[in-house]
Amino acid sequence: MEPVLMILIVGYVVIGGLLASLGAHLLPVGGAPAAMGTATGIATGTVQIMLGAVMTGLFTAASVATFSDSLLLVSLSGAVGATVMMCVVMFMANILYAFGCGIVPVSGRVEVDPITKEPQSPYKTPQTDGHGVPNVVYISGTIGGFLAGFAGALMYYALLNYAHFSAGLAAIVALSIFVANAILAAYNIRGTIEGFHDPKFKRLPKALISSFAVSLLCGIVVVLAATILGGAL
Amino acid sequence: MPIEVVLLFAWMLVIAFLAFIACTFEDLESDMGSQSNPNSQVQLAAQVGQVNRFFNKAISGEPLSNAMYCVTAGTIAWLLLRQFEPLVPGEEWKAAVLAIPIGVLAATMINMIFSTTAHCGRVAGQKRFQQPIYLDVLYGHLIPIGAHAFMTTLCITCIAYIQSNIGTLSGNPALNHPFALPLLGFIWGITVGAIGSSTGDVHYGAEREFQDRPFGEGKRVVYHGKITRYAECGVRTQKDIAGFCAKFGGPVTGMTFGLIILFENWRSMVGMQLGGFLPALPAFTATGDMAAIFGIVLGLLIVAALMVGNLVFVKWVRKKYGPFVGV
Repeated sequence: MEPVLMILIVGYVVIGGLLASLGAHLLPVGGAPAAMGTATGIATGTVQIMLGAVMTGLFTAASVATFSDSLLLVSLSGAVGATVMMCVVMFMANILYAFGCGIVPVSGRVEVDPITKEPQSPYKTPQTDGHGVPNVVYISGTIGGFLAGFAGALMYYALLNYAHFSAGLAAIVALSIFVANAILAAYNIRGTIEGFHDPKFKRLPKALISSFAVSLLCGIVVVLAATILGGAL
Repeated sequence: MPIEVVLLFAWMLVIAFLAFIACTFEDLESDMGSQSNPNSQVQLAAQVGQVNRFFNKAISGEPLSNAMYCVTAGTIAWLLLRQFEPLVPGEEWKAAVLAIPIGVLAATMINMIFSTTAHCGRVAGQKRFQQPIYLDVLYGHLIPIGAHAFMTTLCITCIAYIQSNIGTLSGNPALNHPFALPLLGFIWGITVGAIGSSTGDVHYGAEREFQDRPFGEGKRVVYHGKITRYAECGVRTQKDIAGFCAKFGGPVTGMTFGLIILFENWRSMVGMQLGGFLPALPAFTATGDMAAIFGIVLGLLIVAALMVGNLVFVKWVRKKYGPFVGV
């Protein structure tokens, strides 16, 4: 394998890993408390919602990769796919909170919505940490979905075209690297996060450092696998 | 418009419809067996002295367990398809009609085995809190859990089968998705679980589990574990819960997944059509790139519409419901 290709593979895997970590911190994750309307965000775990979004993006990205060889277009297709998934999920979750449980979307971490300037605390139920998906959280989740989808599709493209993996293997390897980074981010988040306005978002640099280390290792392993096994993949 | 393109759009709508059914049943299956996030309250109930007749099945997070069932079903179906398809040349759909239900049945049986061990193991661990294992609860819920899981896995496996053969089915084999059937099952298994967990759980966790608490507020931390144990008639089990959630939570969850599949496939197909990619398929040319660009632009328009929709909706809800007035 040419050294340029090796550097490209490792480089794109590292960029993908870092974007995945950043995306995970932007997604509004409420975990189990959100299912009871006790915390703001989406009622599931970080890794689970990220995987769902990236999978959706990867499905479209893989289709696009069969007829376009542009790195940017394949990655953007994945990014938009994941964003559509996140946007629909957050919107429908709000509908369910509002019409199923009579709950108003409200942030528990800020007094005033940083984007729409709507007051938050008068609408909040006492002894809860917010509920539903308010506007600032929705926008943060949209950006997070975009970055996560871009990261997944970028790694898929690099593995497919530079490491010459088959489509199925490239998808599985890209997802595996993605999951490793998402789990690291989940450890850093520790339960719930609302998005870029959450105080926990300040912990991001530590997650980026560990993501860099893990992605670098993954990139080297991919290069070794592609070099040693050659066209057998 | 050429018939291949019309067929492609028709199959896309079939996939979206199957997705709606799949996610509706996925949510109801998680309500029927109490899996995922709201099950933390069922788990907690016995520990705070609330002995209950709930089914307590926490196999794993919904995405992972559904991915497992869908991959199992997909792999068995794929293996059987390879065996059966040479037997019926020219009429491969006959092989699919036989292979997919057999694969799904195997996955359903695995689900029921996991449900039994998960329920018995969890409740046995609560012996110190005087929570008994009600055998009628165990026996009475296994078949409904299996039935719901069968519907979910069947629909997802059908979606994976159609997508991996969508080109062949519409007369243009080059359009088949590059992923194999089990991998597509894995992808949609994870996604259906992620959506069922993030959207559908709310109706069960925030409303049905705490129905004797005030309506219209987030459930306070002091309520946690003190779930509603009595039904409209008698003592509540999961059967009462699935019936309730089927009226709103299940269909909304199904609509979420259906919309995602519809938007994703629709924007790709319309992008291909607008870019001039269909039905000639000049891959790796400027036409292919144009198809991708149109798909991305359409996707961004959908995202923008949803963002504006959420902005308007949140504003409307806040105005309609007003500030918190309880104590």
